[in-house]
Amino acid sequence: MSEMYVSAVLGRPVIDPSGATMGRLCDLRLAPGDVLPSVSGLYVRQGKAERYVPWRAVNLFTPVVVSASPDSAGPAEDVAEAGAIRLKRDVLDRQIVDVDGAKVVRVNDLKLRPVGSNLLVEAADVGLRGLVRRLGQLKFWDRLAKLFGPGLPSREIDWRFVAPLDKNADRLTLTVARERLTDMHPADIADILTQVPHKEVGTVIGSLDPETVGEAIGELDPELGGRMLSQLDSEKASDILEEMEPHEAADLLGDLPEEKARELLGLMDAEDAGMVQELLEHEEDTAGGLMNNLFASVPPAMTAEEAISYLRLVGAEVDNIYYVYVIRGDETPLGVVTLKRLLLSPPKTPVAEIMTVGLKAVSVDDNPDKVMEVIAKYNLLAVPVLDAVGHMAGIVPADDVLELYLPESITRKRFAAH
Amino acid sequence: MTAFSQTAPVKRFSWRNLLMFLAVLGPGIITANVDNDAGGITTYSLAGARYGYSLLWLLIPTTVSLVVVQEMCARMGAVTGKGLSDLIRESFGLRTTFYIMIALFLTNLGNTISEFAGIAAGMEIFGVSKFISVPIAAVLVWLLIVKGSYRIVEKVFLVACVIYLAYPLAALTADVPWGEVARASVTPTFKADSGFLAMMIGLVGTTIAPWMQFYQQAAVVEKGITADKYGYTRLDVIVGCVFAVAVALFIVVACAASIFRQGLPVETAADAAMALRPLVGQYASALFAVGLINASLFAAGVLPLSTAYYICEAMGWELGIDKDFRKAPEFFWLFTISVVVGALTILVPDMPLLAVMYVSQVVNGVVLPFVLICMLLLINDKRLMGRYVNGPVFNAVAWVTVVVLIGLTGLMTVDTVWPGSIGRLLSVFVTA
Repeated sequence: MSEMYVSAVLGRPVIDPSGATMGRLCDLRLAPGDVLPSVSGLYVRQGKAERYVPWRAVNLFTPVVVSASPDSAGPAEDVAEAGAIRLKRDVLDRQIVDVDGAKVVRVNDLKLRPVGSNLLVEAADVGLRGLVRRLGQLKFWDRLAKLFGPGLPSREIDWRFVAPLDKNADRLTLTVARERLTDMHPADIADILTQVPHKEVGTVIGSLDPETVGEAIGELDPELGGRMLSQLDSEKASDILEEMEPHEAADLLGDLPEEKARELLGLMDAEDAGMVQELLEHEEDTAGGLMNNLFASVPPAMTAEEAISYLRLVGAEVDNIYYVYVIRGDETPLGVVTLKRLLLSPPKTPVAEIMTVGLKAVSVDDNPDKVMEVIAKYNLLAVPVLDAVGHMAGIVPADDVLELYLPESITRKRFAAH
Repeated sequence: MTAFSQTAPVKRFSWRNLLMFLAVLGPGIITANVDNDAGGITTYSLAGARYGYSLLWLLIPTTVSLVVVQEMCARMGAVTGKGLSDLIRESFGLRTTFYIMIALFLTNLGNTISEFAGIAAGMEIFGVSKFISVPIAAVLVWLLIVKGSYRIVEKVFLVACVIYLAYPLAALTADVPWGEVARASVTPTFKADSGFLAMMIGLVGTTIAPWMQFYQQAAVVEKGITADKYGYTRLDVIVGCVFAVAVALFIVVACAASIFRQGLPVETAADAAMALRPLVGQYASALFAVGLINASLFAAGVLPLSTAYYICEAMGWELGIDKDFRKAPEFFWLFTISVVVGALTILVPDMPLLAVMYVSQVVNGVVLPFVLICMLLLINDKRLMGRYVNGPVFNAVAWVTVVVLIGLTGLMTVDTVWPGSIGRLLSVFVTA
C-alpha cells in the first residue's frame, strides 16, 4: 500500500481476522517519531463504546477495510489519556504555522505514508483539494475544474515545516520547524503573531529567543504589541523589552496600563530601562515622542580613522550609522559627518575638519509635520532632535516619520471585527 | 501620586489617547447598536404598525434569550481566545462547518440586501432614485472598508446612532396609554395566522440575529479579553442587550401609538416614518431617513466584511483588509460579491423594499436555532471551557429559545403551505 489520506480511512469499518466487525475507525493516536510522527494506535467506535487498538495489533490498514486482532484491544479510557495526541481531535481542522510560507493555515487533511511496519504522518494538506476531498466531492469538482484548467490546486506542507499551535500537539514537531521559525523575517513572524489566537501566542513566543520576538513585536502596532506582552509572564516580557529598540519599547509601554508598565520597567536591566524612561517623558505626537535616543556621536577632536573604529564598536546597537554627530563636551552638537565622508577622507583628519556645520535639527516639542518637512527639504536619512537648552536628545530616522504619512491600509493591522 | 509617575509620566495625553478612550466602548454595546440596523428598524416598525401593542410581551423573553446567548459568546471568546467559526471548525469538523458557513453566507447576504434596501428606501424619501443611490452607496461602502479605516467609520456610526433616541422622545410626546403598554408587555397574546407567526419569528430573528454571535465573540477576542477580566464584559453585554431591546420597544410603541391607531397602511419607508410625526412634525420623514441611511450604510459594510472574515477563518484562508486580492483572494471576493449582489438585487425594478428588509429578518430567525445548537454543544464541552461551562439556568433558557424558534418556524411553514390550517387546528382545540 502506498500513501493515503486520513479523510479516506476515518469512518471505515474495522474487522477482526474472522471478518466480524469491531466498529468504525474514529481516530488515530500519534506518537513522536525519529523524523516524522507515527501512528501508535487506533480508536474504534461501536455504538457509544470506544476501544483502543495498539498499532502492533493491526493487520491490514487500507482505505477499504481495516483489520486488527481484537485480543489486545481495550476500552479507550484505560489508555492513559493524559498527553495522548489524537489525530482527528488535536491535529485535523486545527491551525498550524506553515513555517515555509510564513503564514497560519488550517489542516484540511493529512497524508499518511507507510514506512516499514510504521505509518507516518508525512504532510498536512491545507489546499482546496484537501477541502473538497474532506467533503467527499473531490471527483466532481476536480472534473469540473479540469474543464477550465489543470484541475484543483493542491497545497501540501511537508510535516517537517509544520509548527502546531496546540501546546499538546507541539511535541510532534521537530527541531527543524523551530529553527525555521527563528530564521523567518521578523515582519513575517509579526504577521503570524497577529493571526494566532491570543492563548497560543505564548506557545509561538516561547519557541523563539527574546531578540527575535523583540524585533517582531517592534513591527506591530504598539497597542497590539502591548497586549501580547501583557499576556506573557512579566519576567519574559521584560527580557523581550530589553532586546527591543528603546523607542519601540517606549511606544509599547506607553500603551500599557501604568501599573503594568512600571512593573516591567522595574524588571528590566537598569541601563535599558533608563533609556526607555527618558523617551517616555515626551508626548507621543512630537519629535520627542518619535525619536530614538541611540545614535552615533563623536567628540570634534577624534580622527576619521578613530571614528570608523568607534562605529564598528557601537554599530550593532545603533540603528543609523550613516550619520555620525559631532558633539562638544557639554553635549551641544557642532555638526554631522556622513559615513561616506569618513571612509573617503584621509584617516588622520579630525572630524571637526570634515563635518558639515549648520546642523538641520528640530526641537523635542516640534510636531511630526515639522519633522517631515525638514527631512524632505534637506533629503535627510535622520534628523537630530534638540532639547530646550540645545543639547542633542536623539534622532528621528526618516522611515519612522514616514510611517505616519502612509495610508493606514499599509501599516500592519489586523481587521478588528468589532 | 506614585514615585513612578513623578519621575516618568507614562500616561501622555494626546488625541490618540482620546480615540483609545472611545475604543474602550465595550463589544456588547457596539454589537447591540449594530443590531438596530435597517432590518431591525423595519421589523419593529411593522410590528407596531400592524399589530399595535399585541406583540410587546415578546420583548421580555427575547431580552432574556438575547442576554443569555450573547453572554455565552462573550464567555467562549474570553475563555478560548478563538472566534465562533474557529471553534465550530475545530470541534465539528469540516463538513458541518462547510454547510453552516453556506447557510451563514446566504443569511448574511439576505441581510446585506436588506441594508441596501434601507439605503434605497431612505434616499427615496429625499426623492433620490434607487438607481442612483444604491450604486453610489455600494461603491462608497466598498472603498470605505477596503481603502479606509474601519475603526474610524465605526466611531462615526456609533455617534450617529444617537438618532435612535428620537423614538423614545416620539413615544413620550405622543399620547400613549402607558397602562395599556405595561399590560401588553406582560400579557402574552397569540394569533394563529402565518403573518403573525412570521412577525414573531422576525422579531426574535432581528433581535437575536445569527451574525451577532460571530461578531460579538470576534470582538471579545480582538480586544484580548481573558477569562479573569471577564466580569466587566458580562456587564457590558447585559447593558448592551437591554439598551437594544429598549430602543426596539420604543419603536414598536411609537408606531403603535400613531400608525396603528389611525389604521394607516405601511407600504413604504415614508409610511413608517409617520411614527415620528408627533415629535418633529413635518421633519419626521427626513429624520427617519437619516437614521435609516446611517444604520444601513454602516451595516452594509460590516455584514459583508464579517461574513468574509468568519468564513475565511473557518476555512483557513488568508484574511485581513490589510491584504489585497492577490494575497487573500477568497477574503476579498467574498466581501466584494456580497456587496455587489446585495446592491444588484435592490436594482431589480419594482422590488418591494420594505418587504425585502422584513423577509431577511425572518430568515435570520429560521437559521438562528442551528447556530445556537452548535454554541450549546461547544459551551458545555468541558475540554474547551473547563469550569466555565454553562450552568443549568443558561442551558434551559438557550434550549427553550431553540425549541420555540424551531416550533415557530415549523408552524409558519405549515401555515404558508396550507394557509389557515393552524387556525383551524387551534379552533378544534378551543372547541374541544
